[in-house]
Parts: sequence; structure tokens; C-alpha cells
Amino acid sequence: MPPSSSSRSPLASTANPSSATDSKLQLPVVAKPDPKQPAVGLASDGHLDKTPPRKTKGLDLVKAGWSYNCMECHKLFPARWHYEGALNEHKDITLDHGNNRFCLNCHHATNRTAFVDYDGSEIAEADVVLLCAKCHGTIHRDWKAGVHGRQNGYWDARQGDKTRLRCIQCHDPHSPKFKPIAPLPPLKYPARGANPPQAQTAQHSDKH
Amino acid sequence: MSDDSHHDVSPKTIEQVYKPLTRRTFLKGAAASMVGMAGLMAALKPLLELEKGEITLEGLLRKHYRELGPEELRKIIGLISEKTEREYGVRPNLHDRKPSEGVEFGYALNLSRCVGCRKCAHACLKENNQSRDDASDIEMSYIRVLEMNQGAINLETSTAYYNPTAVPQKDKYYMPVQCHQCRQSPCTKVCPVQATWQEKDGVVVVDYDWCIGCRYCMAACPYDARRFNYKKPTIPKQAINPNQGYLSNRIRPKGVVEKCTFCLHRTRDGKYPACLEVCPTGARVFGNLLDPDSEINYVLNNKRVYILKEDVGTLPRFYYFFDK
Repeated sequence: MPPSSSSRSPLASTANPSSATDSKLQLPVVAKPDPKQPAVGLASDGHLDKTPPRKTKGLDLVKAGWSYNCMECHKLFPARWHYEGALNEHKDITLDHGNNRFCLNCHHATNRTAFVDYDGSEIAEADVVLLCAKCHGTIHRDWKAGVHGRQNGYWDARQGDKTRLRCIQCHDPHSPKFKPIAPLPPLKYPARGANPPQAQTAQHSDKH
Repeated sequence: MSDDSHHDVSPKTIEQVYKPLTRRTFLKGAAASMVGMAGLMAALKPLLELEKGEITLEGLLRKHYRELGPEELRKIIGLISEKTEREYGVRPNLHDRKPSEGVEFGYALNLSRCVGCRKCAHACLKENNQSRDDASDIEMSYIRVLEMNQGAINLETSTAYYNPTAVPQKDKYYMPVQCHQCRQSPCTKVCPVQATWQEKDGVVVVDYDWCIGCRYCMAACPYDARRFNYKKPTIPKQAINPNQGYLSNRIRPKGVVEKCTFCLHRTRDGKYPACLEVCPTGARVFGNLLDPDSEINYVLNNKRVYILKEDVGTLPRFYYFFDK
């Protein structure tokens, strides 16, 4: 992905020149903006929090103020076939994807902005669902039927469209297990029958 | 002997016979009549409200919802909208969508996916214009997420008040319970005034203006799915959801029973219910049971489906299922 927004340009953050002259070499720090997340659900449902569990990152890199295309490095540095922990680069990535321990199982060897199919052909970044379907066929079948992962919008196709979350909007592809999340506070509705709330809250205050 | 007994009549006995007005009996009588007056005042309270304009003569003398003509219904909807605007400062888009032909709603929930984050329960509060954010409020979300011990589906050892830092907890699983929209619904059978009934698309609804608040339906429901308005809802102006349905999420009066309607003001427009829209794990599946290609029928045909309290014979339209 070429740098598109102005915030990614190296000059954007050198607004204060006096501080830049203080140290011998100060590379401008450019925050990598989150790539545009696809819209989820209906615009009229602003009161509902439909944020997907995970932000997608995109395959471009920002280092030392410059944004790179993957292949700008990988032309020079072909990836090792065996992945053995953190490499020089990509130290933020921990590969914890079960038996799938090799970068090139998913990433394309000669076009790193694409993914690789069984036969070595490319899967576009936007079609990441097809990449996951290579191994997770039954899940993919459920997803296509609308039963795995969330759908938003209209259940009735005659009245409107639905949006469907893609695999990587919930699962980190390098560590796909769904991460624990903080629950919203318990409701204050009084209980009837078994387990009155007093007993429960007392137990919880003991724990904390 | 009988003459003697006549002479033995004591003044005390006569006092008992004639019951003169002593201080004690006077107070007793006064208290009894006070109670009577209070009861009378309570019975006439609607008339006082009528005078104040809180209720209208049309509202008091109206017919049952299912006997209303379109013109009468339009009039009532206008009156309710005005009342909401007067009391809450927001003019709602109040409508009354009718069930569509060939649609019967079904809901399925994936117990293998649910992590118990309660997002559905809180979205329910927002969507359905329920009291919240006030310390005195009871948050009567239609969804109660139960934390269950793994190994059995045992509601008696479950709790709805869990509050760990992160979910899911080890050795626990989570089971949200809401209205099952039963085909054999005990709640509609016990209602003495027929203020609750099943619609053609399977949704069990309440007419909040017809309900007398006796709570028989709450006692009859095996899923504890109905909620009672103990107080007038307090909602800040900006938090009110203006998309309101007559039979679903319009702001309820005090003293009536309400329940999950599968968000019929959304679902009858073809949209998903609010609880499904926010579920981060996609555990919720909603669709038309009469459409063989719907998502809900995919679940019923391909997954292991569990029906909560199947033995009570309510034939719910809400299913739980398990996944790999």
C-alpha cells in the first residue's frame, strides 16, 4: 500500500524544528494511522456498539517515519521458511496459530502484499476469507451460511443488505484464539428464586 | 330460677348489647372509614389523573388493541407520541408494524461461542428505552446472562451477577436467557384481561395500555423472561431511542409488565434485533423459520440444538446450539 494520507509523510510531524536540532539525529516519529475499517451495520443504529472485536491492520509498514511496502524489504530479504520465534523485524508478531508455524503458509513468497493459495497463486488481501478457508473449511461453510461470526443490517434480503464481519475482524491471524474480554457490569435487576444477589455479591467482594 | 336470672342482668351486659360509643370503638370506626376512604381515593385516582391530563378519556374508554380500527389506532399512537414528547422532550417515531405473511421469527444462540460479556443485555436497555444510569433504577434488560458451571446445564448453580475482570472464566460457560416466544406460551394463557398474546409471526407481545399489572404472567413464565415496571422509566432526553413500536419499545407506563419482543420494531422492518447487532462473538442467529434457506434453519438442520426446559412443553422459538 503506498502512503496515501498526509499524516504518514515524514515531514508531517516535524512541525517543531527547534526540538529537532537539539539531538544529533532525530528521525520523525509517524504514528501509523489505522487503516480504514469497513462500515458495520446500519448508520441509523448509532446507539448500538457494533465495533468488531479486532481492528484490521493492513499489510503496509511504517518504520522511521516512512511507510513501506512489504516487498521493498522482502526483495532483498527472502523470508526463512522455518519460523523460529521473533525475527529481526516483525518482533510485534508472535505466531501462535497451532500447527501452522510457517509465514509462507499464508503470505505469498514473491508478493508479500498478497496471500498464497494451495497452488501458489495469489489471494488478494481483501479476500482474506478465502485464505482462512484453505484450512477452516467447515467454519467457512458456516460463515457463508451466516452462522459463524456476526452479521449486521437486514436479515431480510428483500428489504436491505447485511454486512458480514470477515475472519480477521475478530481473530488475530497470528494468534487466532478469541481473547478474553472485560464484561459489562451486572444488571441491577433483583433476582427471584435461587441465588439471591446478596449472597453472590458477598462472594465476589471476598475474591477481590 | 328463671326469675333469678332475670334479676341478675348486670349493667355491663346491657353495655355490651347497646355498644355505646366509647373512645376505643370510635377510633376503630374512624380508622376503618379512613381505610375505606383511602381505597376509594385509590380507585378514583385515574379520574384525578384524567383531570390533570395525564391520561385521556379516549385512553380510558378505548377498545382492546386487536379490536381497534386503523383510524382509532392512529389516533391513540398520536396521543402516546404527544405524551412522550411532553414527559421526555423527544417526539418519537412511533409506529405499529404488522406481522408479514410467511414470516415466523426464530432465534438461536451458540453456547459454544458466547463469552458472557453482557453486551447484548446492555444493548437491550438502550434499544428498548429502559431506565438506566440512575442509582435508583433497576436495569430490567430482557436478557439475563447466566454464568454456568461446565459439565451440566444446571440453572440452579448459575448466577447472573458474576463480575470478573475478564470473561470467559475457566470452567464456566455462559447462557443468555430471554423470552423464548413459546408456541405454547403459559404467560398468555394466565392473563386475566388478555393484555398479552401471540402475534402471527410468533412474537408474544403486551399491550401496555391494557395490562393491569397483576403479574400472573411473570409467575407463569418458566424462563423468568418478563419484567415489571416498578417505577416510571427515567431516561435522559439524548438517550431515548426514537424508533419506537407500539407493541415493543415505546416508553412504558409504571405498573405494567413488559418483555422481549425480538425487537419487533426492527425485525418487522427486516433488521436484526439489537442484541444480535452488538454480539462480539457472533453467537446469535436470527431469521425466518418459514424460509428454508434462512440462517436459523441452517442451525436447526445442521447443528446440535438444545431447548431450555423442553420438558415443560412450551415449544419455544428460541434455541440453543453447540458448535465444535
